[in-house]
Amino acid sequence: MSVKIQAANVHLIEVKLRSEFNDAEGSAALALLREQGLTNLKGVRIGRLYEVSGALSANQAHQAGKDLLCDAVTQEFRLVPAAPAPMNGMNFWRVEVWLKPTVSDAVGATVAEAIAEGGLPRPASARCGMLYLLDGRAVKAQVEKAVAKSLANPLIHRVVVTEAHP
Amino acid sequence: MNELSEVSDIDFPILGKPAKELRALGNARHLSLSDPEWAAIQAHFKGLKREPSLAEIETIAQTWSEHCKHKTFTSPIRYTEGKKTRTIKNLFAETIVAATEAVKKPWCLSLFKDNAGVVAFGKKWALAFKVETHNHPSALEPYGGAATGVGGVVRDILGVGLGAKPILNTDTFCFGRPDYKGALPEGAHHPTRTLRGVVAGVRDYGNRMGIPTAGGGIWFDDEYRLNPLVFCGTVGIMPQWAVKKEVKPGDLIVAVGGRTGRDGLHGATFSSANLGADAPSSAVQIGHAIQEKRVLDALLAARDKKLYGSVTDCGAGGFSSAVGELGADCGARVRLEQAPLKVSDLDSWEIWLSESQERMVLAVPPKCLKALENVFAAEGCELAVLGEFTKTGRLEVMHHERTIVDLDMKFLHKGLPRVEREATWTNSHAAKPAGGTTKKAGDALREMVGHLNVCSREWVIRQYDHEVQGGTIVKPLQGVRHDGPGDACVIWPHAATGDMEDFSCFAVGHGLNPDYGRIDPYYMALAAVDEALRNLTCVGADPARAALLDNFCWASPEDPRQLGALVRAAEGCAAAAKGFNVPFISGKDSMFNQSKDEKGKELPIPGTLLISAMAPVPDGRKAVTMDFKGPGNALYLIGRTNDELGGSLYHRILGRTGGEVPKVNPASAIDGFKALHAAMTRGHVLSAHDLSEGGLALCAAEMGFTGEFGCLLDLDEVPRDPRIYSNETLLFSESPSRILVEVKPENESAFLRQFGKSAKSAMVRRMGQTTANPILKVTGLEGSTCLEEPLKELKEAWQTALPKVLG
Repeated sequence: MSVKIQAANVHLIEVKLRSEFNDAEGSAALALLREQGLTNLKGVRIGRLYEVSGALSANQAHQAGKDLLCDAVTQEFRLVPAAPAPMNGMNFWRVEVWLKPTVSDAVGATVAEAIAEGGLPRPASARCGMLYLLDGRAVKAQVEKAVAKSLANPLIHRVVVTEAHP
Repeated sequence: MNELSEVSDIDFPILGKPAKELRALGNARHLSLSDPEWAAIQAHFKGLKREPSLAEIETIAQTWSEHCKHKTFTSPIRYTEGKKTRTIKNLFAETIVAATEAVKKPWCLSLFKDNAGVVAFGKKWALAFKVETHNHPSALEPYGGAATGVGGVVRDILGVGLGAKPILNTDTFCFGRPDYKGALPEGAHHPTRTLRGVVAGVRDYGNRMGIPTAGGGIWFDDEYRLNPLVFCGTVGIMPQWAVKKEVKPGDLIVAVGGRTGRDGLHGATFSSANLGADAPSSAVQIGHAIQEKRVLDALLAARDKKLYGSVTDCGAGGFSSAVGELGADCGARVRLEQAPLKVSDLDSWEIWLSESQERMVLAVPPKCLKALENVFAAEGCELAVLGEFTKTGRLEVMHHERTIVDLDMKFLHKGLPRVEREATWTNSHAAKPAGGTTKKAGDALREMVGHLNVCSREWVIRQYDHEVQGGTIVKPLQGVRHDGPGDACVIWPHAATGDMEDFSCFAVGHGLNPDYGRIDPYYMALAAVDEALRNLTCVGADPARAALLDNFCWASPEDPRQLGALVRAAEGCAAAAKGFNVPFISGKDSMFNQSKDEKGKELPIPGTLLISAMAPVPDGRKAVTMDFKGPGNALYLIGRTNDELGGSLYHRILGRTGGEVPKVNPASAIDGFKALHAAMTRGHVLSAHDLSEGGLALCAAEMGFTGEFGCLLDLDEVPRDPRIYSNETLLFSESPSRILVEVKPENESAFLRQFGKSAKSAMVRRMGQTTANPILKVTGLEGSTCLEEPLKELKEAWQTALPKVLG
């Protein structure tokens, strides 16, 4: 049996509630992070991340984001560029929480199926993650510790904390 | 095929190795095998003149795990109580099974041997009930652990007989207090986080599968802070013809549902060990409810077309367990390369042992395969033929033409060495109460309604869909504002039976109180059975047709005191079954619920027994709720009040220890329950509520604030032990078997007629009436008011307690 290995396109699709809507999930996350000592946080907004890899072009990933993953009335989406975003000191943080590769991702599997059923090429894989945008002064180590105690479980999650643009 | 050279894959050399080395090998792989078990495996392979393969060792470890073989309950125990010592050969057989056989109920269709207990429900239908625990996974990852707990017990119901349709989920939890302020060891979750995650996990899995979650409860105690208990239950309904299953040699082994991945390895062996910081991350999984729903729909369609002869779920141990169980009486040959995989780099043993969720295994006659494929394809559900059942009496597993397992089924299922354990029980509890403070009755009651073990669970219940399938006729939240505490739920399964003219329903209730177990586990067991039956009776179920499930969660049985307490609890269950004349139909135990605390000291959970009970409600239209229905109605108290405040909520609030633990008299209790049921079926009862934590005062308060009517009670009229002279004892004693009942004045005579002679005795007596003014007012023994509390304030304290601590 021969296996043909292709360089896969990887697209990161970010879906967020539009800023004019109250983000109840974000408020709940804010309360949890404050309980963990991040008392300077002023707000948290939540989003969903979809890492789709396979034969999809950027246009097709854009179409999947628009038609499938985003509710056009209340949400907005974008393809996250591979280049790093501009930094802004320690006042804003971007926290990504992903299931580790050894953990089954039921939502990701459903997204992959739905993309294929929507007439686009079937992705080789799709993984789903949570995005937390933190507004408030904090130190990276503090953020990582607080997230591990409240929003993620290090046993099954991989957490990526980066400074972010507001 | 027993030659050394013929079994390949990775060898796992054990021959000639000392016990210490084997123990280290086992620990490194989380096998949870004891020294005598290693010795038995060594002897077996020495006889075969070959080393085992890794897959064989993993298969044996999984099959012999506490999780799968219930070694504590089935091995001999040398039990010492006081100065008497005796040997119990098989605790399970000598208590639960023996008592069930003694009560002998013809309507029990399947007991202890299948994935769930099954009882008849009318002439055509049968109800299957199973409660599982998912404690260790939920401690590590509360959301995923609880969700897969639900998924697992739903699959048990799909895998009982030829498959039942799930129509009710139940959830009962024991957590550390959410306001726990002490230190926790590295890696442990705070109880609040565990609670939020577990509730979310149960919610998401049950709701997404379209199964109502309508029964259960929560118990808070800081000794659960490192080892939360998560009991997930499911009731299913099936035609009676589908109760029997049979595997025939030549049947194909067919796997359906989810794909196999690396997730969930070592779940069975992991759950047979103490929970520690080295727990494998692979033991935790995230479930896929939609996948399981597809399996459910396809499986039931295939069942009705009679396309398979037997089925079981892939639970702990994965294919190894499922195929091993189905083929235990004949043999099985498996070709693993046929299994659909999530990832391609799995080792052979990983495919064989993986506990990936949402998978079932069927025994399919070859002629039915094509039709079965069509049914599963229509639901978008994968299906793969893994091999066939044989007549060889062997479990043979191959992967790409290499044999990785070749085991004698007899050795696998009957080769487990039985090791005698020591158990001791000493009653060290003081019969006389001591210590603590005193409080006015009103202050104590206000504290009680806001106590975490009493207060409203609405924050949890509202997250669950308890209405889906449209048959929940007595709901978990009751009363004029749908927010009062129900005793049990009543389900009308018309969506499954399709019969809108048949109003036969069933009720499910629970009993649990580890505080009683701290004093005496024997009486804890009796009280738990009594509470579960009382709850059923309160909603209109027939207590004479009740069926029980036991779920024991205990610390390490290697500690003789722990094991002694377990023996005591099991004997209490047996006494309850015989005394109430009700059978146990299923059960499960979870051992080793203890962990090292922040100081490195072992923290065992309190010995915990959940009793779940199910009984038919002959006519759902006559079901009863617990809220007062109007002013001017008579209030009757059924059951005698004794000075039994040991382990009570009142003592906990006062900080008092000692005292008599509530003791059940099953014979008089069941008489009272039956009489009340007869009165309910004739429509003489407006409301009924059981007296449990907090006793009479709390029961009356809950009925009042849920119905928004008050009541006047006279303690002098309480049927009681004449030696009681304390109002507080009569208000807060937790004597079992008592129910407060509201009856219309014009129905009082008819109501009392159902109690026959006992109405003239102390067992039932009119002791008050309902009022329009929403105040709980109680006249004490001396004739003056001893308690007067506005129900609105009590309700507010009851409703806000849990949201306050959860933030």
